[in-house]
Amino acid sequence: MRDGINLAQLGIPAVALVTEEFWPQGDFVAQSLGMPGVPRVKLPHPVAGTGAVNMREVADAIAPLVIRALEATDD
Amino acid sequence: MTDLLSAADEAEALEDLHSRGCTDGLPVVIPTRERVARMVLASGQDGDMVLGTMGPGHGIATIENVAVAAVMAGCLPDYMPVVVAAVKAVIDPMFDLTEMQATTHCTAPLVIVNGPARHTCGPIASGTGALGPGHRANASIGRALRLTMINIGKARPGSSDMALLGHPGKFTYCLAEDEENSPFPPLHVDLGFEADDSVVTVLGAEAPHSVLFAGDGDDPDAYKVLLDLLAMGLANAPSNNAILTGGAATVVLNPEHSGVFQKAGLSRQDIARELYERCFLEPEMVKHLMSAFAGDNPSRRMAFTGPEQILILQAGGSGLYSMVMPSWCAGTHTNAAVSVKVEADMFCEIPGLAASAGQTS
Repeated sequence: MRDGINLAQLGIPAVALVTEEFWPQGDFVAQSLGMPGVPRVKLPHPVAGTGAVNMREVADAIAPLVIRALEATDD
Repeated sequence: MTDLLSAADEAEALEDLHSRGCTDGLPVVIPTRERVARMVLASGQDGDMVLGTMGPGHGIATIENVAVAAVMAGCLPDYMPVVVAAVKAVIDPMFDLTEMQATTHCTAPLVIVNGPARHTCGPIASGTGALGPGHRANASIGRALRLTMINIGKARPGSSDMALLGHPGKFTYCLAEDEENSPFPPLHVDLGFEADDSVVTVLGAEAPHSVLFAGDGDDPDAYKVLLDLLAMGLANAPSNNAILTGGAATVVLNPEHSGVFQKAGLSRQDIARELYERCFLEPEMVKHLMSAFAGDNPSRRMAFTGPEQILILQAGGSGLYSMVMPSWCAGTHTNAAVSVKVEADMFCEIPGLAASAGQTS
């Protein structure tokens, strides 16, 4: 979340990838850093350690959402 | 100025503080305006003095809101200089407080006190059971730091403090070094301070791991066994130190174990170097145990970047057990230990203050 916000503050389009488990923390970080609307895409939890096949499936599923979020930052 | 809340009585105030998430889950002393004012007065500093910001909530720590935490934790005003120094230590950018508070690791700030403040701001226990219950200064100073991390830093479990389980040291984790009975110079002197300085050293730490060593007075090399055992505890394979390399960690030697090293002619620096050299995993173990962190051709993985990352002090009672505390190792500064001088000469001693600090005003 912080990386995404730091990049956004530098004017670089960024989307934070946050798992379901960490979504509330994402809310907290976004609020505390004054960017409640920072682009985020929700991932299932966990992702780490779930194997290459699953990670590829997750990546395929979220790719359109990431692109859509990035396109929205251009508006 | 700290926000003021109101309640019909102290019982209602306590429930209100619990419901707001302002406590550590245990009852607190209600921080009435009078109690906080006395704690601020005892600090000898202005309540509005800003110490810095505390992550992850970026709250501003002032003498006054640190005093609020100290009152809630049950501190005597005598303890305030140590509490303030501990807060300054975790605010130091080297400490990576924001990341530490938010991590899924169990890490908690371990507060080590050296110098005259062990007596003048306490007594802060360094002997038998120093990390256990029954020592008011140890219990309440560490707790006060935690309450600043909750109420100023805004660390709340599940939303900003993401520790998967945590450990009991997250309630309080404070001890003094047993300088009087240690064969080594005080820790703060070896860290570059003067012997008559009072210093608080804070670093992130796992819960203490017990290290059993019975010794063998007939074996001149018995100290090497003790070194091996301490190293096994410090760099046990599932710990972050063994996997990530490079977080400052702590060794607490009991009097007998300090004596074993003294008898072998080892200084604190010698012990740290010997431990550093023993704390590693061979490449095949790195690959077997931690494939996610190993890379294609892992080399021997050291647990520390250098001997200076291993803090060694003497504390605890006489017997068979020392303690090691591996650490978190993450954050920009990889779990640095931060030492801050205690500004005890600014302390304002008020006759009768200590006795009335915990009473209803």
